[in-house]
Amino acid sequence: MTRPDAALRLRRLLTIIPWIVDHQGSRLDDLAARFGLKVADLERDLELVPFCGLPPYTPDRLIDCEIVDGRVFLRFAEYFGRPLRLTPAEGFSLLAAGQALLAVPGADENGSLASALGKLAGVLGGGDGMAVELGAARYLDPLRAAAAASECVEIDYYTFGRDEVTTRRIDPRAVFAAAGQWYVDAYCHRAADDRLFRVDRVRGVRPTGEHFDPATTGGAAGGGLFHPRPSDRRVTLLLNADVGWVTESYPTESVEEMPDGRLKVVLVANERAWLERLLLRLGPSAEITEPAEVRAEAEEAARRLLVHYG
Amino acid sequence: MADRLERLTNLVAVLLETRRPLTLEEIVERVPGYPAERESYRRQFERDKSTLREIGVPIALEALYAFDQETGYRIHREDYELPALDLTEDERVALHLAVTAVRLEGGAGESADGGAGREALLKLGGFEGSAAPTLDSVAALPDVPALPALFDAYRRRARVTFTYRGGTRRLDPYGILFRNGHWYAVGFDADREAIRAFRADRIESGIEPGPARAFERPEGFDPASALRDEPWRFGDEAPVEALVLVSPTQAGWVEADLGSKAVAERRDDGSVVVRMAVTNRDAFRSFVLGLLDHAEVLGPPELRADMVAWLTALAGGSPSGKASG
Repeated sequence: MTRPDAALRLRRLLTIIPWIVDHQGSRLDDLAARFGLKVADLERDLELVPFCGLPPYTPDRLIDCEIVDGRVFLRFAEYFGRPLRLTPAEGFSLLAAGQALLAVPGADENGSLASALGKLAGVLGGGDGMAVELGAARYLDPLRAAAAASECVEIDYYTFGRDEVTTRRIDPRAVFAAAGQWYVDAYCHRAADDRLFRVDRVRGVRPTGEHFDPATTGGAAGGGLFHPRPSDRRVTLLLNADVGWVTESYPTESVEEMPDGRLKVVLVANERAWLERLLLRLGPSAEITEPAEVRAEAEEAARRLLVHYG
Repeated sequence: MADRLERLTNLVAVLLETRRPLTLEEIVERVPGYPAERESYRRQFERDKSTLREIGVPIALEALYAFDQETGYRIHREDYELPALDLTEDERVALHLAVTAVRLEGGAGESADGGAGREALLKLGGFEGSAAPTLDSVAALPDVPALPALFDAYRRRARVTFTYRGGTRRLDPYGILFRNGHWYAVGFDADREAIRAFRADRIESGIEPGPARAFERPEGFDPASALRDEPWRFGDEAPVEALVLVSPTQAGWVEADLGSKAVAERRDDGSVVVRMAVTNRDAFRSFVLGLLDHAEVLGPPELRADMVAWLTALAGGSPSGKASG
């Protein structure tokens, strides 16, 4: 009889039995809560335990498992005295999560998390060669403090796509690290909508002394950070092979290899400055096929920068 | 018929308790629940074995006696058991908070039952459910299929072989680093005979590990300093020191990015002049152009002329060199 969940249940048993061996008389409901199980599921698996043991499976060779008044007792299970070691994925995930939380600016480098990770690394081996960097940003601390206190703040924000700084009032709900950047998930009063701001593009933070109700300001603006719409402007480029990296670094709508070895790439480009940067960097390695006015825009941008070198 | 869970549990107990490897026949004789016919019990045992390996039970296949052809199975206790960590309750809480606040997205670490990190926490003793504190999500890190195997090789000091950008690479992984949103394996590249970093998500194959304890990690090795992330330093061109004027709007960001030591001059209007050591002119030009109107190459004359020629060509003048990332 193959049960689809036998692996899962076995993993669970091999984890729980050692705990009970060490904590005789644990309450069934406490055990279920501790290991994230339903009481009935735990009971079902524990009922099986008295049938397990070693040959010849006489009573003295079977695990003695009793549930008395909702408390669990286990004897004769010395071989299951310790939990199974961590798998590479488990060890890695736990260390990575711990290292990441420790990398948040302001984390206590000598606190419980650091000492727990030290013990874990000691057991897993490898030493201190694993590191997580979340980076820092100048206004990270005041924004995290404002989010924690549900305080409205006024920020000066540099909009990368338009190359301009604007001042806006925001209700910062959460500050988090994702995709190599710190973001503030906030309600923006200027846009009258939820917005995700990159903390490294914040150029100033001023308190307002006012607070917002975190419960009423909508859900997280999370999900994808970039959502093209049908009305967005699309630009088609023919790229030489040496700039094929563009397809890895920029969100493309389509990539097609041409007979001459070049790549035909369609990009969504609403923001003028964003497109200028790309075209200026690519220079002669990219041919703009459409729309035609983009060619003129790229030339104009080059002329504008040349003014500095007058 | 015995429950499969019961048979698997007994199988683990028998293989843990045996003092020598057991042949398939000995196992079937000792563990109730296997079919009588040889082909059937062999297949059933194969299935059980892969289930056990799937959850991380280390089953060793060994010769029965020295120089013997016949092989058998056993589980070595020291490979099976999690060594005692002696975590305090505070430390367990801290790890629990980390697993709730940091998500590993899109890989082995993410699953319906809370992922590998949560599974690890259970092995460390779980958590008193009613009192379990949680943190809002603080960070999301990408999970990449190659990571657990790279991590395992790193901690066992095993050389790994994999395919990267179409070529076969051999690496002694000294460390694993997360930077700028990407995971890197950093170590000694056996073919280039130099320290190199590989982006884990660009590895195109599985990770083939070699034997454990194959190398020594250099004392004091720091993956963070081994991975240089200023692309204009990645190059073999004759080094030059560039000076770039950055306008007040972008001065703060550029200073944070390059470090305060790079600032050569602070002007009264808030702009700064930064110093950059350049061995890759394409990457340098790309960096400066990314700042659009906020940056100007002041010197040396050679780099300034290069920028002027590039922009002139784009503005409709004569063509120039090749582009870069």
